[in-house]
Amino acid sequence: MIYYTIKRLGLALLVALTVSFISFGLLYLSSDPAIAMAGETASDADIEAIRKLYGFDRPILVQYFDWLQRAMGGDLGKSYYFRTDVSALIGERLPTTMTLGVCAITFAIVLSVPLGVAAAIRPNSLVDRVALFLSVMGQALPSFWFALMLIVFLSVNLRLLPTSGSDTWLHFVMPTVVLGYYAAPAIMRLTRTGMLEVLSTDYIRTARAKGLRPWVVLFKHALRNAIIPVVSLAAVQFGFMLGGSIVVETIFALHGAGFLAWESITRNDLPTVQGLILVFSLFYIVLTFFADLLNAWLDPRIRIN
Amino acid sequence: MKRQFLLTITSMALAAGISGVAHAGKSDDTLNVAIDRELESVDNYYNTAREGIVISRMVWDALLYRDPATNEYLPNLATSYKWVDSTTLEFDLRQGVTFHNGEKFDADDVVYTLDYVSDPNNGAKPARNVNWWESTEKLGDYKVRLNLKKEFPAALEFLSGPIVMYPNEYYAEVGPEGMALKPVGTGPYAVTSVEPGKRYKFKRYDGYHSSSPKGQASIGNVVIRTIAESNTQLAELFSGGIDWIWKVKPDQAERIEAQGQFTVKNSSTMRIGYLNFDAMGRHSKNPMNDVRVRRAIAHAIDREGIVNALVKGESMVVHSLCFPSQFGCTQDVPKYDYNPEKAKQLLAEAGYADGFEIPFLAYRNRDYAEAMINNLNAVGIKTNFEYLKYAAFRDKVQDGGSPFNFGTWGSYSINDVSAITSHFQSGGKDDYSKDAEVIKQLGIGDSSVDPTVRKDAYKAALSRISGEVFMFPLWSYNTWYAFSKEVDFNPTPDEIPRFFTAKWL
Amino acid sequence: MASSDTQPNGATSVYGLMKKRVRGHQGMIIGSLIVLSVLLIALLAPLIAPHDPYQQDLLKRLIPPVWDSRGSWEHILGTDHLGRDYLSRLIYGARISLLIGIGAALISGIIGTIMGVMAGYFGGRVDMIVTFMITVRLSMPVVLVALAVVAIVGGSLQVVITVLGLLLWDRFAVVMRSSTLQIRSMDYVAAARAVGCSTSRVLVTEVMPNVVNNLIVIATIEIAHAIILEAALSFLGLGVQPPLPSWGLMVSEGKDMMLFEAWLITIPGVALFLLVLAINLMGDGVRDITAPENRN
Repeated sequence: MIYYTIKRLGLALLVALTVSFISFGLLYLSSDPAIAMAGETASDADIEAIRKLYGFDRPILVQYFDWLQRAMGGDLGKSYYFRTDVSALIGERLPTTMTLGVCAITFAIVLSVPLGVAAAIRPNSLVDRVALFLSVMGQALPSFWFALMLIVFLSVNLRLLPTSGSDTWLHFVMPTVVLGYYAAPAIMRLTRTGMLEVLSTDYIRTARAKGLRPWVVLFKHALRNAIIPVVSLAAVQFGFMLGGSIVVETIFALHGAGFLAWESITRNDLPTVQGLILVFSLFYIVLTFFADLLNAWLDPRIRIN
Repeated sequence: MKRQFLLTITSMALAAGISGVAHAGKSDDTLNVAIDRELESVDNYYNTAREGIVISRMVWDALLYRDPATNEYLPNLATSYKWVDSTTLEFDLRQGVTFHNGEKFDADDVVYTLDYVSDPNNGAKPARNVNWWESTEKLGDYKVRLNLKKEFPAALEFLSGPIVMYPNEYYAEVGPEGMALKPVGTGPYAVTSVEPGKRYKFKRYDGYHSSSPKGQASIGNVVIRTIAESNTQLAELFSGGIDWIWKVKPDQAERIEAQGQFTVKNSSTMRIGYLNFDAMGRHSKNPMNDVRVRRAIAHAIDREGIVNALVKGESMVVHSLCFPSQFGCTQDVPKYDYNPEKAKQLLAEAGYADGFEIPFLAYRNRDYAEAMINNLNAVGIKTNFEYLKYAAFRDKVQDGGSPFNFGTWGSYSINDVSAITSHFQSGGKDDYSKDAEVIKQLGIGDSSVDPTVRKDAYKAALSRISGEVFMFPLWSYNTWYAFSKEVDFNPTPDEIPRFFTAKWL
Repeated sequence: MASSDTQPNGATSVYGLMKKRVRGHQGMIIGSLIVLSVLLIALLAPLIAPHDPYQQDLLKRLIPPVWDSRGSWEHILGTDHLGRDYLSRLIYGARISLLIGIGAALISGIIGTIMGVMAGYFGGRVDMIVTFMITVRLSMPVVLVALAVVAIVGGSLQVVITVLGLLLWDRFAVVMRSSTLQIRSMDYVAAARAVGCSTSRVLVTEVMPNVVNNLIVIATIEIAHAIILEAALSFLGLGVQPPLPSWGLMVSEGKDMMLFEAWLITIPGVALFLLVLAINLMGDGVRDITAPENRN
């Protein structure tokens, strides 16, 4: 188990580094950092001076390792736009996004797993058809449309919820639903498939034959095994959410890291974007890493592979 | 379709919802305002957004104040001023003024502020606001002298708006970072809370000096929130969470007005749109180098049609590269009517009877750009359209990378031709013609203090720009405001909403 | 249960079995019909569109569809913010959506299949590298890649298809890899190798035909996925550029009028929804018919 953990950890770190380097390269290719830093009113001379001063004329690899070195020491540089430390900026905005992400994935799981189980118990029934239809609907509905429709119904018309902002937990209800419904279809389908497979296996038939109550069979035996791929998927979806939260955060004025990422990209605020990508990919990798560990613990066969 | 039905219900529900709105604004004496972008800093000298200007007028005062109705310069923190000579100004300062934190206002504050922001090492922006004076001298507790680097006719314009006075003891202690988190000024509103980029809270300053031309604020509290999505702003307005929004899109504004639940007003702004051409071949050898092609394009664009159908409001076609109210601006320049036939004729003369293809860049008002592209297609000109974010657009243009682009300029609401024409046509980074005659005339206008000399020089420059179509002025912009019926608010043509003049109805 | 399906000894042929499944699978039939209709509309666009989708008329902006009191039969589905006929744009938009979906799926399919099959067949180092690349790809922010590409090369239909193609290959790779792993241990593969067939020959003649079913299922999923993603990219301004009538762009352009003239979004939105639904049904159907045990 230890060896497995170390191996996965090493791999995870390597992935993080690769992603951060590719992103670094893409960013530098799409905008000139000297101009971005100098700002609007700088003269050509100012820009050249900045280029030399900050070493923007060095080869990309050198610049990247320079940045990486400082990043590992916790220094993510200063935002070109806000002129404050990127780490402080991200630290301020990240909790909102994390809260949103955790709530959304919880919502997605709470919604999809029971639905998937119900659909699996009665395949091709009404429940099954409804579940599948909802899952397609979930993927084909533009999230901004869904978000704004929720706002119109629940906030403007029924006055049940506040429209935008992040002050109270009520402010997170609609954003959670909008962000979560996007992950729900995949989780639902996977649960359903897994359960279908498991329910037709021998040991389940044995358990039933032994006379165990249906609920016990369902949850203690079937679900525990069916849930394995769902765990990985949930981790992957959580990672996607960090990216998908841009639209949700923009519409609900949540001012989290997703909104910051998009605004920073459009403002050519390179250090902030780099910092955010690093943080996001690290989170994603940590998540999948823990998902792997959880799976390996649930199913020893995976460790041996 | 199920969705269509749902949406009909929605619009009905929306209509029902709007009529049941409870205006929280007046009942707790708080005006809730929504803006669409994050401010990089509330410090007046470290942001360049319009919203920053709005907040600046609320929180700080300048030595003078330009009356938005008459454009006169009235005394504010200074009781009087005198031009000692063409590069020296002296001010008598007002006594008995206190900052929000209790500090007394006197000459030390003026000297410290002006010295600090004019020092290029401190990076105050925009640089053109603060780089035109040499030094300041304290002549007495309430008297200062300002030495300009050279003649600068827009001096009073700047000193009556963007150059606000900071408390020297406080600013020396906390600097721009501190000021951005806890602003302190002498203005009609004091800041009670700053959540950077998210929300700013203001409370009426009851110690505001009574002789200020801004007047005493009537509304007790103001909260400014950043809501980037326009539909969310509208939803908040409809549900009563927000009382006042601006920059509403014309199509939206018309329909809100038709529903009759909110007050909708429109006001012109100083912003104008323009087309910029590579007249001198800075980018490459291309059709834009030829004046006949540029004139053809001037005739090909249906500006009137676009203004009537798309821009609307108080906008109008402009013929010279400035906003009509700006000092030195005149519409008495060569004009071009909408005449596609003439355009085709000119193109044929220039050797492009079959038209040509050219890259075309823009960063805002995509629909206006598309309408113009349509006009160009009609005379045979095809465009490779690229729509970039402002930062990318600006960089590409200033780098010489765009032979043909559509941009706009708001002059930072400075009511002087030097804030726009000189910016674009004095040989700077945005200048793709660098015409010697234009540069010379603009130079004369920018540096003389004689109004007649300035007007003549600017007229000469503007005429030549329009005659040679170095840049093609399109139309002026306008802003739509929508707010609760409990608010009495009047927009001003300088596009700087003044909440300290708003009242509850 | 046509008698021609049954053979003399009473057993049904494989083909007969499939035909039976097809007839019983309503979802697939509906899905296929819709997709075929969209395909037909796309192909016949110049013949059926009532107006030129690019023709602006600034005096006739935002006219509602014919069922509204302000609508007219001249513009059955109304006009957009530049006065262009919405029905015509919808019809031509079918071309763009299908092009994007199929193009992106093709590119990502080729990339993903090659990578997945290689990983599954050769295992070891190759597998490690491919798995690593898949993980990196999944950790990359899609928006950033799209933005960077658009910033460098500019936005256009080809760019969007390429970007989506470069981003959607991961599921192909994963599924192809696991399918290949399964097949690799089969007897007939071992037999082919024992006989002395070259690796590429084995791949083409033994492995590929057996993973094709999964490939088709994934392809349909990714076509739908690409179409939806293009809509999301258009929302952010990184998708197809105007004046192209992509459905995603039409939704994005209508967004500002959402609370007032909802039909601007509903119409292309419903079109997108129907197409995606249909593709999904079709994909489900193909899977159910060829290998129902793989239901996912």
